[in-house]
Amino acid sequence: MKIKLKEDVLKNQNKAAAFNRELFQKTQTFVINLMSSPGAGKTTLLESTVKALRDEFKIAVIEGDLATERDADRLRELGVDTVQINTVGGCHLDARMIAKKLPEFDLEKVDILFLENIGNLVCPSGYDLGQDYKVVVLSVPEGNDKIPKYPIMFRRTDMTVINKIDLLPYVSFNLKEAEDDLKTINPDALFKTVSALTGEGMEEWIRWIREGYQTCVAR
Amino acid sequence: MHEMSLVAEVIKLVSEDANERGIVKVTSLVVIVGDLSNVLPEAFEMAFFYLRKQSRGVVDKQTELHLIREEAKAKCHACAQEFVPDYRIALCPVCQLPQSELISGETFRVESYEGCDAK
Repeated sequence: MKIKLKEDVLKNQNKAAAFNRELFQKTQTFVINLMSSPGAGKTTLLESTVKALRDEFKIAVIEGDLATERDADRLRELGVDTVQINTVGGCHLDARMIAKKLPEFDLEKVDILFLENIGNLVCPSGYDLGQDYKVVVLSVPEGNDKIPKYPIMFRRTDMTVINKIDLLPYVSFNLKEAEDDLKTINPDALFKTVSALTGEGMEEWIRWIREGYQTCVAR
Repeated sequence: MHEMSLVAEVIKLVSEDANERGIVKVTSLVVIVGDLSNVLPEAFEMAFFYLRKQSRGVVDKQTELHLIREEAKAKCHACAQEFVPDYRIALCPVCQLPQSELISGETFRVESYEGCDAK
């Protein structure tokens, strides 16, 4: 007999994403899914962000890596509640992994939750985690050609943050080309430039998070 | 990419549905893969080939996989022209504007399967 199933392969993953999203709305938690290739500076950006915002907000982090608790330890040192997910070989976080870890937080008390995805500029883009915003970090040593070369990631994210701009004098990264390519691939995407290490450009990023949190609480 | 886990997901979806219907053996299944769905058909087929051998359930080493490709199509907001987009330059070929809407190509769906209720 023939059965017409017509079911999205990611059905169960997307159900988990909807579950997470509903929970975050109920607890008024503002959630950012942070993605990039390995070494673009996601954890350093988080460290600087936490330092700037920890007096105003209760911040929590879920860290995704194949192995080790290194990133989680860096954030715990700053007093942030952090849960590490080790995917062993897995190339992305999915919504079910997040759903399993959420009971480890008191979400009613968490204002902002960062989901630091596995370092990978391809796979994480396909998985909704239930976040408010998807942000991709691209660091200048990687080259501005990564935007048109990995278009799926940049097309599916709400914001591109160019990191390590303190290195611009030493590498051939064209900011104007990066912004133009992003506008072609994803005209609605936001574009910000920072150096998480020196603090340059961080104010604007921090202001955006504050505004995002206010919008999240108001809904 | 992660075709192994996607194949595992497909086998799980089909197995769950087959179990509910009392189907004991799935002989073939049809999956639609959009050109922009981020799934590599060759890698998906290879992963299916390996995973069906390990499957202890209704999917087994005789289960056939049929992949149907879905072509990517976009429609220009400004002039309504339909065209095959490429992610790098999703510009309308007529008016050269970027804001096109993707109307197909992102599907990744188990369309149907065939099975029987006795081995």
